[in-house]
Amino acid sequence: MPALILFAACGSFARAQMYPHATPAPRTTSVPELRALATGREVVERFHLGLAAEQRADWPSAAAEFERIISLNPGEPQNSTARYDLSIAYANMHRLDDAARELQSAISRDPGFLAAMANLIAVDLSRGDLRDARAVADRFVAAAPDSARALYERGLVALRSGDTVTARNDFGRFLQANPKYAYAHYNLGLAQTKSNDYASAEREFQLAVDLAPAYSRARFALGAVLLHEGKRAEARAAFAAVAGDAGTDPALRNLAVAMRDAIKSR
Amino acid sequence: MLAAVLAVCTLAFERGYAGAQSLEAMLDGALVPSAAPALLGPITEAGRTGWACKPEQAAGADSWQNAELPRP
Repeated sequence: MPALILFAACGSFARAQMYPHATPAPRTTSVPELRALATGREVVERFHLGLAAEQRADWPSAAAEFERIISLNPGEPQNSTARYDLSIAYANMHRLDDAARELQSAISRDPGFLAAMANLIAVDLSRGDLRDARAVADRFVAAAPDSARALYERGLVALRSGDTVTARNDFGRFLQANPKYAYAHYNLGLAQTKSNDYASAEREFQLAVDLAPAYSRARFALGAVLLHEGKRAEARAAFAAVAGDAGTDPALRNLAVAMRDAIKSR
Repeated sequence: MLAAVLAVCTLAFERGYAGAQSLEAMLDGALVPSAAPALLGPITEAGRTGWACKPEQAAGADSWQNAELPRP
């Protein structure tokens, strides 16, 4: 009985002592088949090593494992998956063009690979390739019209590209399902501001601030729109709140101080 | 960059010109869209299909929490 209790208490330790399942013995003497089985085992083993390396943020080691898998040219889904995993390692090594190339290759091999599309848009935004980002985002939305990430990411791409119509539409659709997401209210407010719809923008920025009171960039945006609308006292209060927030990005804070003082001096 | 934005904003405001142009200068310089979301995580050798693949599920999820979008 005491031994049983001890065993139960050390469950995780006991599991760590267990051996993995034995690989079934190959029932063939065909050299090509044996070679294919060996390659298959190597692919699986290198996936385990690569994922373990990514888990400990050892990106060069992870990249080496996935590069080797790709050189073995496995079939689907392992080929596109290895390319997807390799792109994560490359992105963390700041090899953004290489990451994008692997994700594009993964999508061409598996056209419905939503996670690869999501990551490719993020990588494209980071490397400033808005054209490719938009093409992938359109494909992502078409493949998963209700996906929050698809709508949010295409909204970001559209906003950065100056396509305010698509940005307003995507953030609006996103907010129908996720009305409490402050970042989407902020981004929608930006799109409305760029469309000269200041009343709507004020409402969205206010919602963002109400949902996330520490969201200084949204509060600054609110101040900017209020100022444009001639609501000077309210605008000054918004800038003062940003200026007084020690946790704010220093550049934004300095700008808020200048705006607050400029309103005060008049 | 910050100095330039600051100068434009302050000058525009001091001249009583808080119109579309000054606001646009502020927006261009300071009010930028949110950053792109973080990358979805790695996938095992089993691939994206099936219920065990969290990154693929996150990519298709309709709620921001399940989509692994940044938490404000």
